Amino acid sequence: MRLFGRMMLAAAGIGLALATTAHAEDSITVTNLSYRTGPFAATGTPVMNGQRDYITMLNLRDGGVNGVKINYEECETGYNTEKGAECYEKTKASSIVTQPWSTGITLQVLPKSNVDKVPILAPGYGFSPMADGRVFTWAFNPPATYWDGASMILKAISEGNLDNLKGKKIVLLHLDAPYGKEPIPLLHMYAEKHGFTLLPIPVGVKEMQNQSAQWLQIRRERPDFVLMWGWGAMNAGALTEAVKTKFPMDKFIGIWWSGSDADLKAVGEAAKGYRSISWSFPVSDSQTMKDIKQLVVDAGNSLLPPNEFDYVFYQRGVVISMFVVEGIKAAQKHFDTKVVNAEQLRWGLENLNLDEKHLASIGMEGMVPPFSTSCTNHAGHSGAWMLQWDGSKFVKASELLKADEDMIAPLADAEAKKYAEANAPWPLNPGCGG
Amino acid sequence: MLYRTAGQFKTSYRADHALFPVRQDAWLLGAILVLALFVFPLTANEFVFRALLIPVLIYALAALGLNILTGYAGQLSLGTGAFMGVGAYACYKLTTIFPDLNLIVAIALSGFVSAAVGIVFGLPSLRIKGFYLAIATLAAQFFLVWLFDKWTWLYNDNASGAIQVPTVAMFGVPIAGPNATAIVQYYVVLAIVGAITFFCINITRGRIGREWKAVRDMDIAAELVGINLMKSKLSAFAVSSYVVGVAGALFVFLWRGAAEPTAFDIPLSFRVLFIAIIGGLGSILGNFLGAVLIVALPVVISALPASFGLPIASATVEHLNTMTIGALIILFLIVEPHGLARFWTTIREKLIMWPFPH
Repeated sequence: MRLFGRMMLAAAGIGLALATTAHAEDSITVTNLSYRTGPFAATGTPVMNGQRDYITMLNLRDGGVNGVKINYEECETGYNTEKGAECYEKTKASSIVTQPWSTGITLQVLPKSNVDKVPILAPGYGFSPMADGRVFTWAFNPPATYWDGASMILKAISEGNLDNLKGKKIVLLHLDAPYGKEPIPLLHMYAEKHGFTLLPIPVGVKEMQNQSAQWLQIRRERPDFVLMWGWGAMNAGALTEAVKTKFPMDKFIGIWWSGSDADLKAVGEAAKGYRSISWSFPVSDSQTMKDIKQLVVDAGNSLLPPNEFDYVFYQRGVVISMFVVEGIKAAQKHFDTKVVNAEQLRWGLENLNLDEKHLASIGMEGMVPPFSTSCTNHAGHSGAWMLQWDGSKFVKASELLKADEDMIAPLADAEAKKYAEANAPWPLNPGCGG
Repeated sequence: MLYRTAGQFKTSYRADHALFPVRQDAWLLGAILVLALFVFPLTANEFVFRALLIPVLIYALAALGLNILTGYAGQLSLGTGAFMGVGAYACYKLTTIFPDLNLIVAIALSGFVSAAVGIVFGLPSLRIKGFYLAIATLAAQFFLVWLFDKWTWLYNDNASGAIQVPTVAMFGVPIAGPNATAIVQYYVVLAIVGAITFFCINITRGRIGREWKAVRDMDIAAELVGINLMKSKLSAFAVSSYVVGVAGALFVFLWRGAAEPTAFDIPLSFRVLFIAIIGGLGSILGNFLGAVLIVALPVVISALPASFGLPIASATVEHLNTMTIGALIILFLIVEPHGLARFWTTIREKLIMWPFPH
């Protein structure tokens, strides 16, 4: 009897699937290559929850975007590049955007984006030279790249004048993967120009949870600052070791993926003073967040665990989904259509204009610095705030910092050219005079 | 009845030593080839090519390489992933240093690089056996992956630290890189895998294969009957690493398009070892059956709920997938510890006798 019931359920399911495809005309599918399983799930899950909840809220509150419902779908990769490629193949026909969520998957899909003509949205991660829209037609990494992050961290620790760093010693504690190695070329350039010593200390994926060797080295070297490019379990491991070796927390600064509330809650009061640069900030009393709380979280439509609503990573997920939605809106307006396709969304993402006024009108003021993209600038270079852990939560510890684009642009140019040459024939952005 | 061998007389030694002494086996292979050559390509869409057919063939080839070493010559290896990496990086360097080199030639040559590295890491096998040798090959695994990361020349000093496949054309048709169509890549992979499988079937049936089996079963006895252990073990390492290296080059060039060093880390070695063990050590067919179970089945299972319209979250499906595949592996190993290939042998024997078992 139970089997029969299940078969009925399956039959109903098929009926449902047919019914939804009949209405597929007035909906847009946005797929996220999520990782709620695997070794990096702790970092991924809160961001995925935020992304999901913002779209759910828009569908419930406004019936979608300008009357078009948005199907938010997830394809689970477990942060595995092989699964990621499989998910990309599975979803590229239906989804108007690819959100690869791992540098490895980004590198795999980046060359295919020119052929399949689906934009890649990699907010705040991926390959820094992707910001060069003249070369990377289909890739977007708003609002800031890792090189922006490195530049802003240096500005913050030198109190605005990089020459203050002369003679200092800076350790870069980084994950030994393409992601962690990303800031090294830029930091080397700064070290040469401003006369400080840079010492990169890699942490292998296998030793993320046991960093005693690295911290022993840090203790021996007595650096003036430790910068961290960590991911997943590496962040919690580093913070625990820093507390254990009594490293002064106000000299320990992380990139935006090393600022998860959950990691810092684990060490609590002992991590007071730790800073993390961030291009997003949780504003729980903004209109958007209030609506999400009321329509999604309190109504039981969210996967969010209790007490995580104020977390930086959750609300960053909300901001990331907002980028997609604003891209859709811009494309709808420009092409005068309701159901936007992948190529139109590419135009939308290239013409984002999120100024103060616009952010206020969508109820997200203060959650992300204002920025705009263009065909040469696919990142926006919004700048970021320094957040500081006060023992129980992150607070804003600086004004809006801006990256030093004079230093970054030549490097980004050169690396983008190098990539295009290595992957020749590489089509350049036709709308950009490139 | 289907497999009746009565009436198939062999009148010469040549006929008795044929690849398929039983006619039905040849028909079956013919049917599979028709399926692989015509039916799949005509019916499959891009997703089926890229997520099922191509990876199954490439993984089966890698497992075949490992099977020659472990299944036929009895030398346990945990370094398959790293040897695949050697093939991939060698092919990358060859294609970037000689951009005009034919890709098939580059893939064939990169196998030799992998074979050379395999022989070097096979040297300890002359003195140590079993688990101790497994640890020595594990050292190769860790060392080579470390080298892929640290030796920047291997990936042409690029900022991402990964190797990227540019568009490579043959006779005007792109066969690798972003512009290649899935069907072309499938045929190229099928041709290479088919050719190497044919070569491996014959080498394992002949004198060299028999020497390997003798060494596997008892090396002292093999030495006493006059087999040169050093030659035999090192040739197994060379042939095995060659096949694995070619599989690695295909893995990056005709399937993934880009790879970072961690792609060749120990999970890949274990995956290939699982395919070889579950498929059946000491068999050729087993590698293909094992690859279908380990590589293709998870993809099919994860696509099932969506195609039935069941609203199960993607992460939950992944969990269900892991549980199902795990349970299946245990089940198959309990039912037939010698692997899927033996399972097929049993079925075939029963079919030959059916309907009159004695």
